[in-house]
Amino acid sequence: METSAYAKTPVDRLTYSWRVRLRLMRRNFAYFLTELRRRPLALVGGIVVLAYLLAAVLAPHLTAHDPTAGNLRQRLLPPAWEDGGEAAYPLGTDDQGRDILTRIIFGARISLAVGLLSVGISVAAGTALGALAGYWRGLLDDVLSRFADLLLAFPFLIFAIGVMAFLGPGFLNLIAALTFKGWVEFFRLVRGEMMAEKTKEYVEAAKVVGQSHPSIIVAEILPNIIQSVFVLGTLRMGYMIIMEASLSFLGLGIQPPTPVWGAMVAAGRDYLLTAWWASTLPGIAILILVLSINVFGEGLRDILDPRLRIE
Amino acid sequence: MRAVRVLERVLITIPIMFGVAIVVFLFMRLTPGDPVDIMMGQGGAVTTGEIEQLRHEFHLDEPLPVQLWLFLKGAVRGDLGYSYVQKRPIGELIGERLPATIELAVGALFFALLVAVPIGIISAVKQRSLVDQISMAGAFLGTSMPAFWLGIVLILLFSVRLRWLPVQGRIDYGTELQQVTGLYVLDSLLTRNWTALISSLRHLVLPSVSLGAAAAAIVARVLRSSMVETLRQDYITLARAKGQVEFLVVMKHALRNALIPTVTVVGLQVGALLGGNMIVETVFSWPGLGRMVVQAIFERDFPLVQGAVMVYAFTYVMANLIVDILYTTLNPKITL
Amino acid sequence: MLRVKKALLVSASVLAMLALVVGCAAPAPEVVEKVVEKTVEVEVEKMVEVEKVVVATATSPPTRDVIIVALTDAPTSLDPADHRSRLSETVIRNMFDGLVTRDTRSGVHMELAESIEWLDEEILEVKLRQGVLFHDGVEMTADDVVFTFERIIGENMIEYPEPHTSPRKGLIAPLESIEKKDDYTVVMNFSGAWPPAMQMLVHQQIVPKHYLEEVGTEGFIEQPIGTGPFKFVSAEGLEEIVMERFDDYYGGAPDLEPVGLACVKEVVFRVIPEASTRVAALLAGEVDIIQAVPAELIDTLAQTPGVQVKTAPSTQPKWMEMNVNQPPFDDVRVRQAMNYAVDKDLIMEAIYGGRAVALPGPLSPYNNFANEDLEPYPYDPDKALELLEEAGWTDSDGDGTLDKGGKPFAFTIDTLEQFRSLTEAVADQFRTIGIDAGVRFWEYSVLKPMLLAGERMAYLDDWGDSAFDPVGHFEAKWHGQVEGEPYGRGNFSTYNNERVNELIKQGETTADVTMRQTIYDEAQEIVYEEAPAVFLVLPEEAEAAREDIQNWEAASDSRINLHDVCIGQ
Repeated sequence: METSAYAKTPVDRLTYSWRVRLRLMRRNFAYFLTELRRRPLALVGGIVVLAYLLAAVLAPHLTAHDPTAGNLRQRLLPPAWEDGGEAAYPLGTDDQGRDILTRIIFGARISLAVGLLSVGISVAAGTALGALAGYWRGLLDDVLSRFADLLLAFPFLIFAIGVMAFLGPGFLNLIAALTFKGWVEFFRLVRGEMMAEKTKEYVEAAKVVGQSHPSIIVAEILPNIIQSVFVLGTLRMGYMIIMEASLSFLGLGIQPPTPVWGAMVAAGRDYLLTAWWASTLPGIAILILVLSINVFGEGLRDILDPRLRIE
Repeated sequence: MRAVRVLERVLITIPIMFGVAIVVFLFMRLTPGDPVDIMMGQGGAVTTGEIEQLRHEFHLDEPLPVQLWLFLKGAVRGDLGYSYVQKRPIGELIGERLPATIELAVGALFFALLVAVPIGIISAVKQRSLVDQISMAGAFLGTSMPAFWLGIVLILLFSVRLRWLPVQGRIDYGTELQQVTGLYVLDSLLTRNWTALISSLRHLVLPSVSLGAAAAAIVARVLRSSMVETLRQDYITLARAKGQVEFLVVMKHALRNALIPTVTVVGLQVGALLGGNMIVETVFSWPGLGRMVVQAIFERDFPLVQGAVMVYAFTYVMANLIVDILYTTLNPKITL
Repeated sequence: MLRVKKALLVSASVLAMLALVVGCAAPAPEVVEKVVEKTVEVEVEKMVEVEKVVVATATSPPTRDVIIVALTDAPTSLDPADHRSRLSETVIRNMFDGLVTRDTRSGVHMELAESIEWLDEEILEVKLRQGVLFHDGVEMTADDVVFTFERIIGENMIEYPEPHTSPRKGLIAPLESIEKKDDYTVVMNFSGAWPPAMQMLVHQQIVPKHYLEEVGTEGFIEQPIGTGPFKFVSAEGLEEIVMERFDDYYGGAPDLEPVGLACVKEVVFRVIPEASTRVAALLAGEVDIIQAVPAELIDTLAQTPGVQVKTAPSTQPKWMEMNVNQPPFDDVRVRQAMNYAVDKDLIMEAIYGGRAVALPGPLSPYNNFANEDLEPYPYDPDKALELLEEAGWTDSDGDGTLDKGGKPFAFTIDTLEQFRSLTEAVADQFRTIGIDAGVRFWEYSVLKPMLLAGERMAYLDDWGDSAFDPVGHFEAKWHGQVEGEPYGRGNFSTYNNERVNELIKQGETTADVTMRQTIYDEAQEIVYEEAPAVFLVLPEEAEAAREDIQNWEAASDSRINLHDVCIGQ
């Protein structure tokens, strides 16, 4: 690290390597896109995820029906391509006469929001705590690690169900239930990497120069760790969405009439024999989203892994 | 030196279990819902006096720390208390349901390995071929499917439409089975009861597939990548140069080394299988521990939830511990 | 530092282990012994069965001797005195008989009692049938009857798992004491005239004194013994209960043909909570009889070859109770408006396939004392809006939702998962006229105390009316709550009207039928006008069975009486 016009003020110093990265990233973005094009599967995945995001945001403009208002006379209509189906309800209707396609699109809002928020918070909390634990070690590390071990002793689903039973239904409670255990993985990852990085030369160099500890953590080490976090985060997104769907399936989480994919599958179970589409189609929506996230995440990992490291 | 670390790890589980007990206890006690109401069933003309009495009997009128102490005291002795709703000792209830859950986990694991190992090997050997692409796509699919949805679709296809496989339960009624371990497949083998064997296997198929699909996908991918790694190694090229049959090269040399990281992943999956079966058990009405726990949580059956979660946590921690130990045994480079 | 830490850790763990070892006391071996015993017992019985039981295979089993019934939920207990669920009674009733029994078409009949006579208003004399044997061969006598009822009405008579009072006491609350007159006669003393006595006695079954005293409640529930047409074989955690024919059965209620031994050799009750799974199991031949057929499948099943569907007038009327002590439901006009706002015909048509009737008021129209003059609230959204406007609710800001004083008309309907379809439909209809109604699902045990305490706003559910008599129903739902008494135990609207309370008490103690009718007519009218609930629908009870099941009828009280059920050829 050289003293230059860029490194005058403390803020400058802290953000220096990030800004260098940013510039590199812009140059690398083109590179990134080329790499992505080389992996058509990941590219498709990325596009699908983007499509879901757009659909979720633009939901009211894309749908002709009200996601929560039913019409009992149109109950359990089959999808348009089946006998008895209507073009107005392309994927059929549920047991309250609500259009399934509309509900799937609106349901994307909840699933994406829950997925993004729970992973986001898990990443933030896990990274922060992991960085501190890995850097300082000592009592803080011990306490946090033991606490993490304790949380790890519970199977994820049982823990989440217990938390939901405790807190009651609701969007925020759902996120809390998922994040409670979710941060542990990121904590361990960052902690491990932090401990490994700490022994490297550039950290010694920074210490010798007299950089303060927070600055070292944020400015020097984190940028190198961040991409594994990013990759793990992407991979965990899919898992979180499935967990959210599982909790909704069991009846926890968000209450009707708000459309939620997991709850839609559960409600459709009663009609498996006569209206298979009520359960199956929302499940396919979950499947496609998670699949795309996973495929994209894999591609991301492939691309990012050995590259973009600044020492 | 390593032995001490292993011992350390084993001993750590004790405070962890205590921690688990405390956390579970606090959660249940602080959750809204009155157990006395559950015990009285739906309605009932009970006087306040009787309610107070019940509260006293179940120590619900004592301060929390006292209740916790009583619980821990009992748990250590193996007495997990009585279920509020089912009015039977919890140890008994868990004992009845545990074999079903274990059987399901084993079935899922078996399916996962059955599918993952050949796929992993073939994909690695024929890298980037069509088989590889399809398998890897399938693997992605496996990890992206919610287990409950897969279960429902399988039921729809195989039970409702095709009528090949049963819809729920563990065995056809009318099939006699002498129970030795509680694991129906094993018991029917032990007693040479072929009808029971077929029946229990038929019932085990769909739930095992639903639960094991995700695990199969993960193991397949890990095996493939570690096989690919291994096949690149020098000693493989050497073996080939020496004129060894390709099949042997793959199976004897490469596989053995590739299995090391795979085994640990499998071990982790065992933990996940044991912990993730509630959903599948619910979908298939499988009389296991998972389903019982979920119901108990909804019903605020405190003692039952405590006992069952303790059992789960214990199994989970043990499974992870064994995996860790196995891993260090197989790969001395990594320390605990 | 590291070494010290490690040492501390190791010693702490060793101490903990020592504590564990010390804490582990003797109980372990005892438990093991019992388990082994039980397995052997069951095994022996099962081995005898082997030749007799034929394996059930694919879709159409050959000649069979076993009937498998799929229940919606597991019974909570096999002890006739220790449960409060219809389901438990359904199972128990096949192993235990009562003094009287009920056939839903023809009413109450003598069973274990040969004759019953009211000596005066408060004293009932019961002459018992002779030669009735329990499953262990011992004869039933007056001692058993006295023991049974004392066990129910006494305090803390059930000693396992912890001493507690029978939850069925409230069903025969006026019974003060019972005494043996001679070996086959007992006398029951009530606290006052009790018109529904016969109907309520149906719900208590006789248990063997000698056996219970010998093995205690704990032994009793593991291996129950009664006088019923079937005797207990095994119960796998109450999820699968097996019974077999009792070959020394006295024959059963003489009025109910056919009298004699049970037709089939063996009976199994299985729990399948999911409706579609139940139906699929029936179609696949895995079970023979199923409860609670979902409405939309009734027609499909009726047309399926190999399956028969039967319906019976239900005894589970459904309504949405509103908290009358909280705005906006504290205004009777609002409550009536809510009644006018629901299109019951559409709901019955769409959700129940037309197999339901609208509730004309607080009592089911099939109730023996229903007020014939009351008509269900018609669907009239205009009238609803009119009433709401009178009460001050209009859409003043044009956003589609009614409001008053700046606050929107918004509330949540609490309910249980099983009423999902109905609740969502009702909420939807409220939204159509501008009321923001949401739905929330709860567990009953969590919700009930909150409802009774008046903490919630609206609750949708049903309340059983299996006796076709207002008692057991009216006082539970529409009487003000009285602590320690059965009054208002299900009053989730916190409704409390003095005149109604008075009438209810009168109705319970008047024996004259005409007078009771007048009393209840007035009570129903008041409740109808005051509308503490939106009176919804009474769906039919539908059950289905395989084609070759004979002598089986769907029962309004959900009872599945397998005594007379046969498997045809």
